[in-house]
Amino acid sequence: MTKPQGAALYESAKKIYPREISGRFENLSRIATVVLLGLFYAVPWLSWDERQAVLFDLPARKFHIFGLTLWPQDFPYLALLLMILAYSLFFFTAIGGRLWCGFACPQTVWTEIFIWMEQLTEGTRSQRMKLDKAPWSFNKFRRKFSKQFLWITFSLWTGFTFVGYFQPIRDLGMDIVALNVGGWTLFWGLFYGFATYGNAGYMREQVCKYMCPYARFQSAMFDKDTLIISYDEERGEPRGSRKRSDDFKAKGLGECIDCQLCVQVCPTGIDIREGLQYECIACAACIDACDSIMDRMNYPRGLIRYTTENALHHKKSSIFRPRVLIYAALLVILISILAVSLATRTPLIVDVIRDRNTLFRELPGDIIENSYTLKIINQSHEPREFILVIGGIEGITLDGVPEPLIVAGGNVLSLPVRARLPRSSSRGIMHIDFSVTATDDPAVTVIEDSRFLGPSP
Amino acid sequence: MVGEEYRGTQRWSRNKQAVFIVGWISFLVAAIATMVFFAFFDPVDLIGTIDDELDIGRDAGYAAGFFFFWALCALCSGVTAYLVRTAPKRKSKRQKQ
Repeated sequence: MTKPQGAALYESAKKIYPREISGRFENLSRIATVVLLGLFYAVPWLSWDERQAVLFDLPARKFHIFGLTLWPQDFPYLALLLMILAYSLFFFTAIGGRLWCGFACPQTVWTEIFIWMEQLTEGTRSQRMKLDKAPWSFNKFRRKFSKQFLWITFSLWTGFTFVGYFQPIRDLGMDIVALNVGGWTLFWGLFYGFATYGNAGYMREQVCKYMCPYARFQSAMFDKDTLIISYDEERGEPRGSRKRSDDFKAKGLGECIDCQLCVQVCPTGIDIREGLQYECIACAACIDACDSIMDRMNYPRGLIRYTTENALHHKKSSIFRPRVLIYAALLVILISILAVSLATRTPLIVDVIRDRNTLFRELPGDIIENSYTLKIINQSHEPREFILVIGGIEGITLDGVPEPLIVAGGNVLSLPVRARLPRSSSRGIMHIDFSVTATDDPAVTVIEDSRFLGPSP
Repeated sequence: MVGEEYRGTQRWSRNKQAVFIVGWISFLVAAIATMVFFAFFDPVDLIGTIDDELDIGRDAGYAAGFFFFWALCALCSGVTAYLVRTAPKRKSKRQKQ
């Protein structure tokens, strides 16, 4: 960068007015926006078995995802899922570059909608620039007011939807109509709504340029075969204006007519012709812009295009590189682990907590007693009867188990029990296990290890 | 430079960048920390260990946990960012002569 530093360092960022554009990639981006935002706003309204299909019920500490109900104890699934998402991001970045930034990132997607609302109320790029420079008038007020009205309504709806993932959204709607919303609910709704308003309405590309961690480390996943959006310098230079009928080759010019449309459409305000820059979010708006000019000039498309560094230098590009294969292998492994463990998951969790206050107690008749609290979590939706058996040492018995041992559907039973052993069998620290089995289905069994302490012989 | 008028080319100041990066990254880390922490601990149990009579409910417990983590992470990375600040080198008077 050759910009003068110093005083400029402390000036605030100039507003970028991205110019509207249409084309292949803009259509793709619109489809991505509609699908992703459509999912975000629609999913909380879906029902499944007479409850909300996707509901992260924090007060009850249960997570419903369609037919699946996860508990805090199922945390490994969340960890696996996060790892799968991270490796998918690495994998797709290695192959397709910043596809995430250009098409799927919430920042991009919501900004797209907010810019669309801006265009609807304030007009095209040049109209918007003129409007911002003009003194206040009724027309300016009307346009600005409608924009703010749309933005704020949309943001509030977004906050409402967000909270609707954590509280039943239909009840929440009723509560809002009845003006009977809890303090935290209101806070989180407004918090998320305000974040949307600020990020998509005002911060926009500055989030990508200055705040996004992915923008900083995505280059680590790049190599010379990664898809990038690039200007074909060899073909375009020297750039210069010309008439459509001119023989530009005779004038010694390249195919770039220097119309600057690629700069005007760029949401981050860069000039793609200066080469690959970290500000580029790969939204492909410049490709659409340049293609439209190439069509008008009757030049072949693709002066700015998706390509790879190798292809630009006339070398062979390949998709199957060690990096891509490693990411793919890790993804396959992680997804298989998740799928297998979800498929073979037993709807029963047992936690054994040993009473830490006393090592052991001596009962009359030379009996050693240890106390435990068992947490038996029945994750199925129906009540279930279980059989609890203690094992691991010859002659150990269990006291305090109710007959029959029934746990209601989706409930936790906290059961204090005492294990007893004749003193003659005591060998210091011994390993024992509690096994819990459903009476109606022996496959639903969990065995938990614990320790039994007694005096050494 | 070409097309200067179209571009938001004024960069954020270092301080502004630092404040926003610290705020945003600690927000993300706090979100993950909150998920992990409350997967293992129930806020109601935790509050019970501090004061039996305090009954602020799970919602407030989660929120308090999140803001605690956010503040902690922001403090940590904020102090780090402050301590690693570097100023451009100035030539000393002797070298100028």
